[in-house]
Amino acid sequence: MNDSMSIPHLIMSASTVVQLVMLILTIGSILSWVVIFQRTFVMRRARRTHQAFEERFWSGVDLNELYRDTPAEQETQGAEHVFRAGFREFNRLLTKTRSPEAILDGVQRSMRVAWSREEDRLTLHLVFLATVASASPYIGLFGTVWGIMGSFQSLSMAQQATLATVAPWIAEALIATAMGLFAAIPAVIFYNRLSAESGRLLGKYEDFAEEFHSILHRNLQGRGDADAA
Amino acid sequence: MARQEPQLHSRDDRPVGYGLPTVLAVGLHLVVVVLSVVTLPQREPEHQTSSIVQATLVSTETTTDQAQRAEEARSRAAARQAEEAEQQAQAEREAEQAAAEAAQREAEEQAAREAEARAREEARQAAEAEAQRRAEEAERQTELREQQEAERQRQQEEAAEAERQRQLEAQRRAEEEAERQHQAEEQARREREAEEQRRAEEEAERQRQAEEQARREREAEEQRRAEEEAERQRQAEEQARREREAEEQRRAEEEAERQRQAEEQARREREAEERRRAEEEAERQRRAEEEARRAAEAASQGLDRAIEGESDAVANARQAQEAANSFINLVRRAVEQAWVIPPGAGGGLAATVQVQLGPSGELFGASVTQSSGDSAFDRSAIQAVEAAAPFGELRQLPAAAQRDFRQFNLRFRPGDVR
Repeated sequence: MNDSMSIPHLIMSASTVVQLVMLILTIGSILSWVVIFQRTFVMRRARRTHQAFEERFWSGVDLNELYRDTPAEQETQGAEHVFRAGFREFNRLLTKTRSPEAILDGVQRSMRVAWSREEDRLTLHLVFLATVASASPYIGLFGTVWGIMGSFQSLSMAQQATLATVAPWIAEALIATAMGLFAAIPAVIFYNRLSAESGRLLGKYEDFAEEFHSILHRNLQGRGDADAA
Repeated sequence: MARQEPQLHSRDDRPVGYGLPTVLAVGLHLVVVVLSVVTLPQREPEHQTSSIVQATLVSTETTTDQAQRAEEARSRAAARQAEEAEQQAQAEREAEQAAAEAAQREAEEQAAREAEARAREEARQAAEAEAQRRAEEAERQTELREQQEAERQRQQEEAAEAERQRQLEAQRRAEEEAERQHQAEEQARREREAEEQRRAEEEAERQRQAEEQARREREAEEQRRAEEEAERQRQAEEQARREREAEEQRRAEEEAERQRQAEEQARREREAEERRRAEEEAERQRRAEEEARRAAEAASQGLDRAIEGESDAVANARQAQEAANSFINLVRRAVEQAWVIPPGAGGGLAATVQVQLGPSGELFGASVTQSSGDSAFDRSAIQAVEAAAPFGELRQLPAAAQRDFRQFNLRFRPGDVR
């Protein structure tokens, strides 16, 4: 019984289409787990980086110094990236225009672009996870239906249909569904978790952007007053 | 601040790569696979095999030798014929039984009648013997009585003799007395004669007369008394004899009666015994006859069967040869198609399955007679047979060949699966 009904044996004795489906599902499962691990690491690092940056930003450090300390724009991530984009644009516009509205508009735009990039970076591959989560049950189901179809076709050739005749076929067909669910369930769980995490981080970035914007706005107001005076 | 920078940058320097997650994901799947494999006793090389079961690489062959099959068929045919013969014999037996019962009843009645007659005869004989015996007895008794009578007479005579002797004795004594007295008288007379002759003579005469008288009287008396005594004795004896006789008679009669009753009883018992014995005898005889008849029937049937079996065997051997090719090929092809070889089955495994078919080709039973040692393999072989059944082609075979193929062996031996 164990010999003929074990899962590896059933997989090996399945038909080609079912085996193909199983292969797809296995690959999808492996990739989804790669994404899960990778995103988990990315999220954890982004959270820590954000915490460290916020600590530093609100520690009363001079913004110019902070800007100079931070590395090049391509390597920065998260709120730091937003800060750098906004502050660079601010510095550039400050020399070109005297209108605070124009400066603030430019800063806001550049910060929105940076935020958008951050969002893109954080939610990278999460769509794949969602795809695996939603599609793999159907793929597995397809494999099962195909396998049962084959079993019935071969059953039509046998004169005597006993349960022992049908059972191996159905078992091997059902393995496809099992594999689809095996791929889909972690994908669903981690997609929800990771997307919630990324959404929370993006919210934090947005908050930071607004706060930074208000700081710059305060500076411009003070300078405008000083200029007027 | 400067202290924080390197830490911050060192962490941000390199983006999160895909190497570690890939390793982790693959490792996770391997763990899952290993768990699912290790928990089941499964050999690792099997997973690399990609051969799907296409039950074509099968060499199925019937390995039973013809002689054995013929023998089996013959035995089966014989069994069936025996069954039919049994049924026929049953019917016959029933008819015969009815007849036998009637005959038996008749025989019983006859036996009863015979026994009755015999019993009556015997009773009559017994009665005759009884009567004879009784007559003898009576004779004996009368003889005895006569003897007794003679004895008694003899005794009586003896008594009379004794009486006579006694009387003679008494007479003699009386004579002696008289002599003595006479002498005394004579002396006295002589003495008295010396004195007074006449007176003495008269007196003597008178005395003599008186004495004579007295003597006579005494004699008469004595005679009478003796006679009376004798008479009494005789009467008493007669009485005693009569009583004894009556007693004897009564006793004899009682004895005879008792004997007669006992004999009657014994006779009745004997009669009953005789009748019972006769019945038992009749029953035994009937049974013996029945058994003998049955044995004869069985013997004749056995002979018939043997003859039929032989002819069947000859026919089977010829027809099986003809039918073997077509039917065996059909069965082999069907079983081959239905056989799903288990993946672990190497080339060395071989199992023999005995297949029993019904008259119309339906599967009665399939059992492994020679196991391959691999239970999965044996099971797959039986499943193949079950899947291939029913073999409806059996009905198209000739009857003799059908019997031949009701039971056959299939040998399962996979070729090179990989």
